[in-house]
Amino acid sequence: MTEPLLEIRDLHKHFESRSGRLFGRVKTVRAVDGVTLSIHVGETLGLVGESGCGKSTLARTVLFLESPTSGEIRFQGRQLKEDEATRLRRGAQIVFQDPYSSLPPRMKIRNILADPLLIHRLVPDDQVGDRVRSLLQDVGLSPDAETSLPHELSGGQRQRVGIARALAVQPTLVVADEAVSSLDVSVQAQILNLLKDLQAEHRLAYLFISHDLGVVKYMSHRIAVMYLGRIVELAPTDELDAWPLHPYTRALMSAVPSIQERTGPRIRLEGEPPDPGNPPPGCSFHPRCPMAQPICREETPELKEWLPGRVAACHFALETTGSTPVEVQTDGRQAESGNGP
Amino acid sequence: MSDALPTVERIAPREGSAGARALRGIARRPVAAAGILGVIVILGASIFAPLLAPYDPAMQDLSRSLLPPIWDGGSADHILGTDPLGRDVASRLLFGARNSLVISVSAMLLGSLLGLTTGMFAGFYGGRLDSLLMRVGDIQLAFPFILLAIAILGTLADRNAIDLILVLGIPGWIVYARVVRSRVLAEKEKEYVMAAKAVGATSLRRLRRYVLPSVWQVVPVIALLDVGFLIMMESTLSFLGLGLQPPASSWGLMLAEGRKNMMISPWLSVLPGLAIMATVLSINLVADGLADVIDPRLRKGSFRRRLLRTQASAEGAGGDRPSLLAVRDLSVEFPLSDRVVQVVRDVSFEIRRGETLGIVGESGSGKSVTALSIIQLLDSPGRVTAGQILFDGRDLARIPDHEMAALRGRRIGMIFQNPASSLNPVLSIGYQMAEAMRRLKRVPVKRIESECRDALRSVGIGDPDRVLGQYPFQLSGGMNQRVMIAMAMTAQPDLLIADEPTTALDVTTQAQILEQLHEITTEQDTSLILITHDIALVAEHADTIVVMYAGQVCESGPASRVVSDPRHPYTRALLESVPRAELEAGVRLKAIPGELPDPAALPVGCPFAPRCPSVMDVCTEVNPPPFRVGSRHSAACHLWAPEMRKEVVS
Repeated sequence: MTEPLLEIRDLHKHFESRSGRLFGRVKTVRAVDGVTLSIHVGETLGLVGESGCGKSTLARTVLFLESPTSGEIRFQGRQLKEDEATRLRRGAQIVFQDPYSSLPPRMKIRNILADPLLIHRLVPDDQVGDRVRSLLQDVGLSPDAETSLPHELSGGQRQRVGIARALAVQPTLVVADEAVSSLDVSVQAQILNLLKDLQAEHRLAYLFISHDLGVVKYMSHRIAVMYLGRIVELAPTDELDAWPLHPYTRALMSAVPSIQERTGPRIRLEGEPPDPGNPPPGCSFHPRCPMAQPICREETPELKEWLPGRVAACHFALETTGSTPVEVQTDGRQAESGNGP
Repeated sequence: MSDALPTVERIAPREGSAGARALRGIARRPVAAAGILGVIVILGASIFAPLLAPYDPAMQDLSRSLLPPIWDGGSADHILGTDPLGRDVASRLLFGARNSLVISVSAMLLGSLLGLTTGMFAGFYGGRLDSLLMRVGDIQLAFPFILLAIAILGTLADRNAIDLILVLGIPGWIVYARVVRSRVLAEKEKEYVMAAKAVGATSLRRLRRYVLPSVWQVVPVIALLDVGFLIMMESTLSFLGLGLQPPASSWGLMLAEGRKNMMISPWLSVLPGLAIMATVLSINLVADGLADVIDPRLRKGSFRRRLLRTQASAEGAGGDRPSLLAVRDLSVEFPLSDRVVQVVRDVSFEIRRGETLGIVGESGSGKSVTALSIIQLLDSPGRVTAGQILFDGRDLARIPDHEMAALRGRRIGMIFQNPASSLNPVLSIGYQMAEAMRRLKRVPVKRIESECRDALRSVGIGDPDRVLGQYPFQLSGGMNQRVMIAMAMTAQPDLLIADEPTTALDVTTQAQILEQLHEITTEQDTSLILITHDIALVAEHADTIVVMYAGQVCESGPASRVVSDPRHPYTRALLESVPRAELEAGVRLKAIPGELPDPAALPVGCPFAPRCPSVMDVCTEVNPPPFRVGSRHSAACHLWAPEMRKEVVS
């Protein structure tokens, strides 16, 4: 396989927070706690997890918008240090969740899109206007939107502007941090399709972050599932869908509301997501896990490859409902094709 | 995704520059307009002083000393009289205005620039620079300004205007710096500043091009108030003999000189006093108006329920089936300053005892407004303009306040999207629950604690004692929502309205909460209205679905029918546009083209017509009423009009 576009090794981002009382103890919140990932050119890696699992912090740390506590980030084959962030800024961009707070409220769309061009001197000054208008067209907006202020546009239009800003520097990687989560459902699909079209056109790689498993599945080639600062499972989308190895992934998939008749009983998780400042010992999922054993309380499971291309951090990734996963996996596939036309 | 209010800002037409808008905004407030008039008069007087003044302000004429003003027996030569040296008071007042304004405005500019810059840097870069600047500011604020000014000015033998400007202006920085700094602290955390960093903007560029345009607006208001204060200070210093030196004219000097002749000619001190007062007052009035315009949140809002007049036929709608709640042709409007927005139009639905009704819609669909109308808690100026809300035979839009208040909480409960903001942050969960128990259910004191525990257990909280002792901020969103449900259910209401109860929660928590909600409402035979933007959610949890779009019901029917056999193109599009787990790989989502309609400018005809794949000519002309498409199933679409169906058949 060719060299990945972005490679993250054992990335940590810790925050110090003081407890509520005066002179309270300083505790360390391990928002990102040893994440290793890679993304290839033109690929979408989905990252799914619930609030507080550290997915947004990961997004920001990868782009050096927050400085990593430790770990290695390699982009286009070169290891990056923080002072080289400018190099990264031309190759990797971000689209934020909230189309209202992610655009400067008093700047015209034209200036918002021109700024990256001017900063990196990407086009001669007299062509900036043309480039801005063509960027607007690329994201499906009319070129006369350039004279508008952000508040004059709807949420969907604003998010298109956010995407155009990210595209201005012609990046190879775009991090989409909950990019459609605050949009209305009827507009969300437009933006997802736009992101797909842009990917095909510019051979973009996406790190697509969302709490919505349905959206992540639609967008991604591979999916990473994050829980409390760590990746607990990583697999190609269709395989994850057919046979999730980690019990948390299964619970997550089961919790998504569906318009179809549910086949099995819903896996009901007990309890609350743990406090990231005070994670449980051993596997951080064990207090809520329906199949927890004594070992889960003591030993943190490593993220390891159980089957070709299938990694999971669970002591019992292969011991689920009795049948061997390989069989079940093929069963799952057959069942899937059986449902088809 | 709150749609309690129509999104007004996005359609606000741009009218001229920000300054012009601010001026127009101020001018609409009569008190502020009076202030503007005052400021204009004073500005005009000081600018045109050389033209307006009948005499040179320094020209002495001892033969005409202490002449009275014209209304006190003086002559038209000296309208406001003369001072002991025979100088014309009117001329001295005009030139005094000039000096006062030049000095205080310059001092204000100096102070505000200094404060804006230091505040921006301190807030943006933080760290040691911030601590240093703010400590210097603290020390300065602890030291009386007037003492400092006297100390400095007293040592200067020859004072001129520049000295005064420096002494008055520089100490003002801290007032600006503090406010600007706190604004920068809030602003720099926003995503657009992060985005600027991501596109490679240096910190100086982020500060100048991104943060500055969002924070400078706080300066003009402080600056105006500051000018008023500086005019007073300048007069005070002149009065004490530390300001401009004679023969220059200054209001403070005139006041000091007038004091000596207080008994003979009181007007000499009253007139400059009045001038100072009028100027400061005008400036403050303008500043207040400006603050209102810049921050519209300061405007007063009020909640007032409006009753509909009793209709003759109000009780005539008994119907054949006993429904707990029947909403008929409900219309709600929000009058804005220049137009009226129809947020809900002719909405009808029914809910039977023990049934769960799901209302699905996107922002601006009117789903939350409908819910708030049922419980009669519409935010002002929203009002129900037509229709009936029949709850157990009584029309909630027409019963008096005290009857409505008796229903709220006891027979109709409501839970909201953000549980943490629905709970009181400074009271423990136990206290708040006990309060609800006492008020709604009249539980005897002895049993309150055990009842609270039972209530929490009934919503799946395993260790109620721990939760009862905690405060809302110590609990997760899911826990708080459980507490809200437990509280809403204490009175065993007949109807519970849940407005996006799980939207702010994680999926795994959402599944738990909805199951709990289902269990507890089934157990107590409570009807549930579940409002959400997620059609899959109501498909799983509701018996009946009402789909709303642009303030109207476009489809309603049994949940299984609506989901498996949607009849309205919008429902169908909604079902197809959400990426589902079931979606096969490689299949492209069918996105609905276009944008949600602006509630203030709805199209003629069917509101979905501009985005509809099956639009016909009639759709852009006539807004379709609901047509029956099956048992208890209706769709407001011309495709289902009886004459259309005949055509299809033939």
